[in-house]
Amino acid sequence: MQDSVSVDAVRRRIEAALPGARVEVGTFSGHDHFQAVVEAPQFAGKTLVQQHRMVYAAVSDLLGGEMHALALRTRALGPAEQEREAVEEKQP
Amino acid sequence: MTDDPKMQQWAEQIEKDINGNLIFVYAKGEKNMAMCGFSRRVMEIFDRLGVEYQVRNVLVDPIIRQAVSAHTSWPTIPQIFIGGEFIGGCDIVSEMYESGELQKTIEKARQTANA
Repeated sequence: MQDSVSVDAVRRRIEAALPGARVEVGTFSGHDHFQAVVEAPQFAGKTLVQQHRMVYAAVSDLLGGEMHALALRTRALGPAEQEREAVEEKQP
Repeated sequence: MTDDPKMQQWAEQIEKDINGNLIFVYAKGEKNMAMCGFSRRVMEIFDRLGVEYQVRNVLVDPIIRQAVSAHTSWPTIPQIFIGGEFIGGCDIVSEMYESGELQKTIEKARQTANA
């Protein structure tokens, strides 16, 4: 039996599928129940169902296997927010 | 896929479930007897709202889950339908409940059903 996928691997998967996204991944009630907060520019103008579908698609082969659950919180990252974050990152 | 008569039968049953009920939940477990925390949370939200809803337990037969996911292309359970429309899973329903959007969606579906 293989160990479950790591939090980092899940985060990288989501980041690769949604370039520019801010992704936080953690686990709860065991190592195979994941939760993720995903803020992505690609979510703009999309419904929550569409946003969740985009995240599920990035980990579709893991869901139901190594990943027993994936609780999601998604939010669109607008151009203004991306800009503000870029400024904040530059500040010491 | 739809060559399977049992799958076809369930596809038809799902249409009846979601179109014949204002709120329909495919869950792990029965009403008041959820077998999974996510299914429980969804039922608790509808209980708190005091709205009527129907539940079908996907654990009864694996083909139910298969047919539901084939219908929505959604990988997880629970799955919630309001006024025949797929609303999402536990996270979306929780978020909509917190923002008040869920109550509005139910009210709108109720008005459409009564029109």
